[in-house]
Parts: sequence; C-alpha cells; structure tokens
Amino acid sequence: MASHCRQLFICQLCGLNSPYTYYGQKPPNTRAIVLLEECFVTKDPFSPDKERFLVLGSLCSLCSTRVCAGSDCSLFYTKRFCLQCVNKHFDQFPHQIQTELAKKKQSSKAAVS
Amino acid sequence: MDSDGRRHSRSWDWDSPQCRAQLDEIFFRQHDYIQKGSPEHKEFWAFFDRFQRFKTKRDISGSGGAGRKQDREGKDSRRSGKMDLGLPKEYDARYRINVSVCTRDIEERLGKSRSWQRSSGPGSQEISDCRLALLHFLDFSQKQSFGKLAKLRQEQKNLPIFQYRDRIVALVQSHPVVVVAGDTGCGKSTQVPQYLLSSGFNHIACTQPRRIACISLAKRVSFESLNQYGSKVGYQIRFETTRTPATKLLFLTEGLLLRQIQQDRTLAQYQVVIVDEVHERHLHCDFLLGVLRSLLADRPGLHLVLMSATINIKLFSDYFSSAPVLQVPGRLFPIQVIYQPIPPEEQSSRSEKLDPRPYLRILQGIDQRYPPEERGDLLLFLSGVAEISTVQEACQIYATHTRRWIVLPLHSTLSLAQQDKVFDIAPPGVRKCIISTNIAETSVTIDGVRFVVDSGKVKEMSFDPKAKMQRLQEFWISRASSEQRKGRAGRTGPGVCYRLYAESDYNAFAPYSVPEINRVALDSLILQMKSMCLGDPLSFVFIDPPPAASIQTAVTYLKEQGALDSHGELTSIGSLLAQLPVDVVIGKMLVLGSLFNLVESVLTVAAAHSVQSPFLRSSQHNPDCATARQPLHSNHGDPFTLLNTFNSWVEVKGERGGGSRKWCRRRGLEEQRLYEMVNLRRQFKDLLRSHGLLESEYSASSGSDHGKRRERLTERRKLHQLKRDHERQEGSRRKVLRLDEGQDGEFSSGSDTEGAGKGKNDKEGSGQDMDIQEVKFKLRHNVSELQEAVNVSQDLSSRQQALLKLLLCRGFYPQLALPDEHNSTRKDSEQVFHTKNKQGVVIHPTSVFATDPEVLQVPEDDTREMGPDRKGSSKHQLLAFVTLLETNKPYLSNCVRVPALQALLLVANSVDSNADCTRLVVDGWLELELREPEEALKVLSTALTLRAEWERLLQAQLGQSTQRGAAFQGVSRKVMEKLSEGLVRFLLYTEVSYSLRRLTAFHTQNLYIGPRSESELFHTKAPDLNPLFPGAEAKPDPIKGGLHVTSFFTYNCLADSKDLYSECLRMFWSCPNCDLYMPLTPLERMQHEASCRPAGEQQQLEEEPQGGRAGSSSVTSLTRVYHCDVCNEDLNLTSTEILKHKKQHMYSAK
Ligand SMILES: [Zn+2]
Ligand SMILES: [Zn+2]
Repeated sequence: MASHCRQLFICQLCGLNSPYTYYGQKPPNTRAIVLLEECFVTKDPFSPDKERFLVLGSLCSLCSTRVCAGSDCSLFYTKRFCLQCVNKHFDQFPHQIQTELAKKKQSSKAAVS
Repeated sequence: MDSDGRRHSRSWDWDSPQCRAQLDEIFFRQHDYIQKGSPEHKEFWAFFDRFQRFKTKRDISGSGGAGRKQDREGKDSRRSGKMDLGLPKEYDARYRINVSVCTRDIEERLGKSRSWQRSSGPGSQEISDCRLALLHFLDFSQKQSFGKLAKLRQEQKNLPIFQYRDRIVALVQSHPVVVVAGDTGCGKSTQVPQYLLSSGFNHIACTQPRRIACISLAKRVSFESLNQYGSKVGYQIRFETTRTPATKLLFLTEGLLLRQIQQDRTLAQYQVVIVDEVHERHLHCDFLLGVLRSLLADRPGLHLVLMSATINIKLFSDYFSSAPVLQVPGRLFPIQVIYQPIPPEEQSSRSEKLDPRPYLRILQGIDQRYPPEERGDLLLFLSGVAEISTVQEACQIYATHTRRWIVLPLHSTLSLAQQDKVFDIAPPGVRKCIISTNIAETSVTIDGVRFVVDSGKVKEMSFDPKAKMQRLQEFWISRASSEQRKGRAGRTGPGVCYRLYAESDYNAFAPYSVPEINRVALDSLILQMKSMCLGDPLSFVFIDPPPAASIQTAVTYLKEQGALDSHGELTSIGSLLAQLPVDVVIGKMLVLGSLFNLVESVLTVAAAHSVQSPFLRSSQHNPDCATARQPLHSNHGDPFTLLNTFNSWVEVKGERGGGSRKWCRRRGLEEQRLYEMVNLRRQFKDLLRSHGLLESEYSASSGSDHGKRRERLTERRKLHQLKRDHERQEGSRRKVLRLDEGQDGEFSSGSDTEGAGKGKNDKEGSGQDMDIQEVKFKLRHNVSELQEAVNVSQDLSSRQQALLKLLLCRGFYPQLALPDEHNSTRKDSEQVFHTKNKQGVVIHPTSVFATDPEVLQVPEDDTREMGPDRKGSSKHQLLAFVTLLETNKPYLSNCVRVPALQALLLVANSVDSNADCTRLVVDGWLELELREPEEALKVLSTALTLRAEWERLLQAQLGQSTQRGAAFQGVSRKVMEKLSEGLVRFLLYTEVSYSLRRLTAFHTQNLYIGPRSESELFHTKAPDLNPLFPGAEAKPDPIKGGLHVTSFFTYNCLADSKDLYSECLRMFWSCPNCDLYMPLTPLERMQHEASCRPAGEQQQLEEEPQGGRAGSSSVTSLTRVYHCDVCNEDLNLTSTEILKHKKQHMYSAK
C-alpha cells in the first residue's frame, strides 16, 4: 500500500527494524562528517533538537547481510563485518577484539544458562 | 611540518578557554554538525576531558599504542585457503569508528595565517588530538542512541500483545469490527495503532476518553516509531492539534470525533477508527459507538476496532453483531487480596466523619511486616475530598511520629503542582502514602505502588431529572472497579490489596459500574443527536439505552432554552449551539454576547465557566489569600469575580510576565486554569468569527509597524528555543520528596517559596527563569492584543454591568433562585433560596453571596407593606445560577444577582397576567403583584417591545450566520445600540413597587381560568385581536385560557381575572407619541404602544436598509390586512389605525 513510501531497515540477524531516511556515506546536514561505509541512516529520535543522524546498520562487507549496528550483530573494524563472518575469520582480528568477543560470548552464555 | 608541535611544548594549555576556542574555530563553526555554544558542544568538551584522562592513564599503565600510527597492511596474517580481510596489523581503537571528520580546508587556511603568529594556536598534534576525541565522541553518541533504540524494540517485543500482532492485523483486515480486550500493561493502546500503521493501513483515528492521554500516546507512539518530530503521528484535542495533511495516525478525544462526524457524515477521512477504553462507558463513548454502528452501513470500507479492558466484552461484541474478540493477557504481578471489613464500632454513619482507625492499622501493619528497605508505596482509595482530609490528618500524625511515611492527597481539586507530587520519589526507607479518589483508578497511573487499600466506596455524580439537580452521592463500587483498584498494586512487582469490606460484600457488588449515560443530564447529547439527524432519541439504538425520563427532561430543557421548537426540531440558535463544542448554557451566552458590545466580557465569562475554578479550595481558609483576593470580588456575582480575576491577571502578565505566578500564588489561584481560559477564550472567539457572529479583526495587527512585527518575530524565535529546551529537560529525573512534604499545606510556606519548585534550572540565567506555561502563553497569544481586549471589559460602567447581567441571566435561564422572604432575619450562613423544582437550597461557600448575602436583601427603606406577607419594593432580586449540586446539602454555585421583575419579563418563557396586568405569574411558580395598574401596563408593554426587538435582532444575527460566505453585515450598530440603551434603561430605571413570592402547590392548583366556552370565545372576538408584534398571533390559549399574545405572554388567563372586554376596564388614555386619546382596554393599549413610535424613531425605521430582511422592520410590516365586519371590507391598516377604525363603528353604533 501507499504508506510504504518510507523504506524499512530490518536487521537480518536480530530482526531489529526501523524506517530509514537515507542510505549512503554522507547523510544530510552533517557538514564535515563523512561515513566510512554506506549506511542506513535515520533521524535520531532521541535527540530532541536539531537534526542528528543515527546509523541503524549497513551491509556486511563480506557477505552483504543487512546487519544492525548493535554489537550482537556486527562489528566495525575499518569495514563492517557481521558477527557470523567475524567468527569465520576470527583469527584475523587483533587480539583486543578477540578477547572482547570471547568475554562477551561467555557472559551471554552465562545469562542464558 | 611543525615538529615541535607536541603537547605542552608551546604555550598550549588544554584547560584554557582561549585554546579551546581556537579549536572551536576548526571543528565547531556556525554551520557545523555540532555548533559552538550548543549543549552538545558543552558535552563534547566534558567528554574530551574524560577522554584525555583515560588516555593518560592508559599511557602510564603501558598498554599504549593508541598514539602510534603504523598503518601497515597485515600481510603476514594470510593463511592458506583463507581469504585475507586486509585488516591493519596494529590494533587501534580508531579503526572501530565508522565516521571521519574532514577539516583540511580550514586547517590549511589556518596554517597559512599561522606563519606570522607562530607561537600561538594549535599545532597539528592538538588538532589531531581534538579530532580523535571528536570521533570518539560521535561514536559514543551513536552507540548511546542506538542502544536506546535497541532497548525500545526489545521492550516492544516483550509486551504481551506482541505475540498477537499478526492475528490482530489479520482480523482487522478481514472484519469490519474487531474487539481487542486486554488488561492494564498489555500494551494495546500504544501498539495496536502501530501494528495497523505498519501493515499498510492509512489514516487511523484512535479515540481516548481523556485529553491528556491523547497527548501522551501521540508522543509515545511517534517516539516508538522514531518519528518524533515528523508529522505522521499526531493528536487533536480541544485547544491543540499537531495534525497536518501528512498525519496518518491521530489520537483524539471521543467528543472531537463526534464533532468530525457532524461535518463529515461518513468519516471519509479515516480508514480505521479505534475506540479505546470502551469499557469505561463514558457518555461520549457510548454515543460514539452508537453513531459508528449506524455509520458502518454507509461506509463499507471503514474498519472499527474497539479496545477494552477484559470487562463485559460480550456486550460490545454483541452490539456489533458478534464481532470477533481477541483477548490478550495483561501483565500483572500476583496480588494478594486481604479482606479486612471495618468493625461495626468503627463504621461511620452518613452524617459522621469517617473513622480513620482502620486505615491507620494498615499503615502500622505494613511497618511491622515489611522492612523499610523493601520499597513499595501505598495507594489508598477513598470516596471523596472530605474523607481524604480526615484520613490524611490521622496518617500525618502517624507519619510524623514514625518518620517512615510521606502522606500525599490526590484529587482533582488540588493544584496541579500538588497533584504532581505523587509522582515524585520518597527517600530511602520511607514510603509514599497516596490518599486518592477514584482518579487513581484509571486517569492517573502511579508506578511503584505495592500496597492498595480499597474502601470500596465511590462518590458519583448522578442527575435528578425531576429537580434538574446534580447529586454527588456515595455508593459501593462495582466488582469491575474493585478489580481495577486491586490491579494498581501489581504494576511493578507483586503486591497486596487490602479490602475494607467482606468477601461477601464483594460478591454482592454490581458486576459493572453504572454507565455515565444513565447518570447525567443528556442536554448536549440530545442536541447533538438532533443536529446529526439521528431521528427520535428514544428509538436510537444505544449499547445501553438511557432512561426515557432523562431524554424527555433534556428535550424539555432544550425547548426552554430555545434550542428546540415546540415540535422538537432544531431552531436556528439550536443548530448553532450544536456546532459549538460547549455546554448549551455557555453556547447561548456566547451567541447573546456577540450581539452586543460585550463580547470580550462574555468570552471571558464563558471560558471561566468551561474550566475548573481557578480559586483553589485549599486556599479558602487562608486569611492571607482571602485578603489578597478581596479586591477581585464583585458582589454582583461570581461571574464578575472571575472576570475581574482574569482581567487583573492579564494586566499583571502584561506588566510583569512571569511574575504572574507569584501573583496567583498569593491569591490562591491555580494559574493553569487561567492559561486554559486564555486558550478557550481565543477558541470561542474564532468560533464566533467562523460562524459569522463576530467581525474579523482588522485592528491591532495591521496597525503595528514593521519594527514591532520584527521585534515580535525575534521574540517568538527565542520563545520557541525556550520551549524546545524545556522539552529536552522534560521527563528528566523525578524529584526526591522531603520527609515533611505532606505536612505543609499549599500556602503555609508563604509566597517566598516562589521558584522552589523549579529546582536547579533557575541558575541558568534569566532566560531560564521563565516557566514553560509563560512561554507557551506568549507563543500562542499576543499579550498586548489581549490586554487591549481585556481593557474593554475592565471597569464596566454600571450600564454595561447591568446588560452583562441580563445576558448571563438569559444564558443561565431557567436556572433561577428566589431568596426566602425571611432571609433578613437569618444568619449569614443560613440564608435559604428556592428554585422552581427544589426548595431550601443554600449558596455554596465559594460563592461571593455566601460571604455577602445582604446585597440580596430588599433594603428596608424601599419596602412597603402590600398586604399580609407581601413586601412591596422595586428592589427585589433573583439569583441566576449555573449549577445546583447536592452533596450534603443542595448548593447553588456560580450565581449572579438580577433585578427580579425586569429580568423575568425579559427572559422568562412563560408570563401570565390577569386582566389589568397587576398580577403576573412567571413560569408557573413566581408571582409578582404590582400596585398600580397604570405602572404595570407600562412595564409590561416596555418589556414586550424590548423583547420583540431583541428577538428580531438576534434572529437577524443568526440568519446572517447561516448564510456563510456572504460578507459580514451584522445588525447595524445603531439599531443594536438603541436596543441596549432601551434594555439598560429598563433594567436600571424601572422603579415600580411590587411584591414577589413563590407559589405553593396549593396556589398553582387553580391558577388559570382554563379554556373558555364557545360563546365566550365568540364574545372575545378572537380573530379580531391583532398581533401585538409582527409574526405573533394572538389567539385563545387552549389550556390556560386567556389570550396567547406572544410565544411567552398569555394575557388575562389568571383565575382572578376580570373579563377582558368588560367596558369597565376601558380607561381613557392619551398616547404620548400620537394624538390618540380614547378609552382602551389594557390589551388594546399595549397593542397601540407596540406599533406607535415617537416621530423621530419612525423616521429611523424607514431609513433601515430593507435588503434581505423581508421588510420585517420596515413600516410596511406594521400594517396588516384587517377585515372589518361592519364595512365588510379588507383594509390595510396599522394596529393604531385599526383601533381608530373600530372606535368609529363603536361610537356610531351607540
Ligand atoms: Zn541486529
Ligand atoms: Zn557477513
């Protein structure tokens, strides 16, 4: 129906959804700011005055999955990687990231069990 | 480049504002994403400090590497068979940020200029430090906002209704009507509209019973749909709308949707209508359901969704031919119910004060059973304000003693600030004890309540159609509302509900509360039904039909008000009233006021009567407030006091702006109500204008010069900024209550508490000192324009005052009360009054006449004995009032005093006279006896003439308003001024002595002579009796007897009457205007007076433009066809000429 003039961003991993207003590297009214990847961007609903942008997510640079910017779904390290791809190429990431991810895995396991 | 540009090497100091300002020139310029001076800019530098500290710490601990930049590609990480990701070998947190900031252009420019001022300014190291901090700052804010979004989505998913999302959408798609039933906390109000919106439905209306819910839901939903400042989700309430053509989901009140149906019969503007909270069974909601039900047949594409708590669902489903029901479980924690019936010795009888002991015991029990560190507040439901203050008093003593409780009352007559306190937080170890009316059952939701105490009682307004009186009575609640109260304990965790009644009582409660439609006056409802052409109200299919007697009473009342004619059809004034979103009485006042030069005053009074009283009840016993208020009081009546108050407030606002808050506090006024009044006033004005009842304004705005306009524009911009700032701060953390919070009354702390409530924002400088209401007020209204308008209504002359009183009296009519004849011998507090239907009513203590009743008494020096128990005077007065409400006594409130004889003759629907008009009976209950027949005739005749003219002008005015589009002509000012002059003279200078009394049932038994026999009829020669006024026909009254002269005046029908045409009543009389001198009956004389005007006036009448007015005012209209039986001829004569003609025959016959 006609109401779908606004496109919807849906994370293919966690299902998080939100309409986005811009896709690309240069959201409107950001002046000197440039994004280092093509992003799905919306107006930040949590900042009351003026137009602030909010990056919802982007495509995984390896598998092109649409992923949200949440740390459970993706990681940015010079490029965007979905967590599935991160796990696949785990050893190529610096140890700081590796330990971080390992810690995270553990705590989430603890929370589930 | 500059190799010694390292930190601290030059005169660079990160803490120096000058140094930071230089970096601001690079990163935070006027058009940058973050601008110098903005709140975010401030946040950045705070972040910067934290960031630097963090870096230093890390550098010291040696884990370093952040500063090093060796961006070599990590080639050696390549392994066989695996793809190389090309990641840098050295870890840098910078690589985790997907944002960059380009400032090369400015840096280069600065670099050039720096060559000659080398020693100062940031070096490349400082710039890159700052850039790095900025990148981290941006990343940090992105993460923060994204986190909020993720949390929001998670919360939505966790709502019980989320599981039903697809089923709801599917049901709505396949059925015209769907019922969604779910209890508190299931999320239906916020989620269902969003589900429908996102599944492709457009144009959704969602009604709410309360205005405040419209605003908060619209805010919440637009927030959840991440569209907070877009316009897809909006709300529309009485004064405010955020609706735009792009709005797809609109929250609005039930009443407003009904108004929209009036304009747009099939509701073509909506695809889906959601009616929320249908179980609350408000009058408007029940009616709306009925209207929508009949509308569905004409609108095949319309989808209707009813949302309800799980109460009586079948009723709604059945009403819409077994519509499918989707039931959603609520999200309540388990609640333990404890029945603790009040022992008989502690039960209070009706007249006694409530015994607080059972309530105290519960507080004590909680203190014993639950350790203070286990949080959880107490919510106590009582029936009314008096009960609340009794229990509050007792609990406060206990609280002061134990220091474990903060006692807070909650009811709608408290100031908003006081009401707001219940949302504040108690300090650790202390619980809130909120003592509330049933307002906290549905309208107000307080989180953190763990204990509920339910008295099982409620005070509800009921309407007594017989006495036309509202009654506030105490009832047992229903099981449904008992469950609702209980549920308040389980919103945030497991809770306890103490019921102060037995389980057997509970089982005996009615299952559901009585719907409003069965409890209230139906005047406005019936009027609206008439204007929507819904046919006979008695046969309309309501979900629960109201009692037929209520409908009948409403129809009668509307007829009395002139909104319906004798056939029950809408009159022109009635159809206008139906369009005004106000009470019939107020609508009438507005229409009447628009005719005279009193619009500004009438607007204010009408607005004042449409909002809660600005005078705070709690300040009534405060002597300081009373003294400060004194100058505002008017002994002419409460509407005048309100008028004075409003006018003075506007004056203060003009002079002192925000200082008005203090001014209000000193006088015990709730300023919020005054703000509401300004808004309403403006809305009323617009309404009158759009109905052509008021000229559009050309004055002030066009006259002001450019400079002023620009000034205003700048001011507005500033105000908008303030409003935004406020909105940002809004919803910030709640205040922590002081332990002694409940103790100080609202005023005991005096006027120097000003600003205390505002908290920390005060120090932000003078701009922040302005409160948000003041800002909104200034945005919405031009203060100087308002002042001008108000000036008009300030210092009313006694003439204008008299006229305004008359207008109010006509508006309030038939609500009139007569002072008891023995009031002068009674104490001030025991003054008694009588209305037509109710004897022995008293004046509400808030009314000015409660403190100053002498002004209602007939001055002794003006009285003359006119027989047993009859005091003759020209100074009798009546009270016209707005409401009659029975609580422990029947109280009159909002009264204005009016001169009895004049007011009655000018506004009453029924005036009956005897033959010489010395005895008049008004509306069948008030009897006036005039001493002199000569005077009586003169008074009556003047009144009839004035009334006819008033009616004519009013109809002309209304006629104007129905012809939309036509240029506003209005009633000519000259004619209007002449009428008001006449009315004022009549009101102020009629000095006729008369007695006034209420007729008893015994008197009214044989009041009228009744219809006459054929021969008598023949004798009166009825067909020959000329109408006194154009359009009116004098004919024998079939019930009362006598002659029905105008719609309200029946001549010679009172039982003691002498024969109308007996020659003895003929008296010689000379007309002051023409040369007529002959013996005339009273009726003939009045007839002549009505048509014979002084020579000068006659002239004026001829000059009146005749276009479009059917010649009703022209001289020709005064002539009529008269068939003379003697001449057997049709003659075109004026009334006087007819008289003369008849005399001719009379004398010749003798
Ligand atoms: Zn995701
Ligand atoms: Zn991937």
